[in-house]
Amino acid sequence: MKTKMNYKLIVICTLVMGISSLMMAQDTPPLTDPEIASVAVVANQIDIDYGKVAIKRSKNKEVTDFANRMIEDHSAVIKQAVALVTKLGVTPKDNAVSQSLMTQSKETLKKLNSVSKMDFDKTYIDNEVAYHEAVIGAVKNVLIPQAQNSELKDLLEAVLPALEAHLGHAKMAQTKISK
Amino acid sequence: MQTHKSLVSKYLLTLAVMICFLVILMGFKNPEDTYKPTRHTVTIFKMKFNPENLVVNKGDTVVWINKDFYQHDVTELTSKKWTSKPLNQGESWSKVITEDIKYYCDLHKVMKGTITIAK
Ligand SMILES: [Cu+2]
Repeated sequence: MKTKMNYKLIVICTLVMGISSLMMAQDTPPLTDPEIASVAVVANQIDIDYGKVAIKRSKNKEVTDFANRMIEDHSAVIKQAVALVTKLGVTPKDNAVSQSLMTQSKETLKKLNSVSKMDFDKTYIDNEVAYHEAVIGAVKNVLIPQAQNSELKDLLEAVLPALEAHLGHAKMAQTKISK
Repeated sequence: MQTHKSLVSKYLLTLAVMICFLVILMGFKNPEDTYKPTRHTVTIFKMKFNPENLVVNKGDTVVWINKDFYQHDVTELTSKKWTSKPLNQGESWSKVITEDIKYYCDLHKVMKGTITIAK
């Protein structure tokens, strides 16, 4: 019980840290398009990585179906992003936001891999809800307003409804597995 | 023995009766029989069925076309009675509508739509 509480606290802390680092990014000089492209690829890759762990560790079809969908959809976004940067002749550029996303994801992956099998489904889905909420905020408030190239903006705008659908789907799974 | 003239008039009379009969038949024809089924398109774009709610006539065909770069499907909502299977970008799937239907995307369970038959 105590470890569960601790765990919850850690999740909340990492999220607050993550969101605030994204908020801080609003105050620092705006991200350039190559940096935005990097953030987009990293953010999508992170959710693919979480999904892969879920497929390995979960026995619940609700959860593995959701994880497979995350892998498919986020891979589709990366494919579009790569096609676009190739077309524009842009190379995604590493930056503070990408790095902070990566650091947080390493922590989460560690957790997903170490949490007991019994607690895995809930841990994974709770994290998916929180992660999609955080990414929606970042895309809406940071990436779209700062993107210069109109095709990059269009792509980010096409990603938003998918993130929202994923969030709704994750919340449905959340209620189902908590029963 | 019949004259040539009466044969001709008999023939004309039969023809006239037949034409009248046909005209009457066409006049009384049920409007449903003359209704030509139409095709309607539901575009799947930005994680939405568009239009989400569509009214058609019985026997019409609805074509769903996926314009997203994500896969989607069209699946009966209440018991998954039928499904299109996943559609890639640019792919479409059609169904003849014989009853009111509620459907959703089984891949993204929050995407929903309805087809209603006009009364
Ligand atoms: Cu879908």
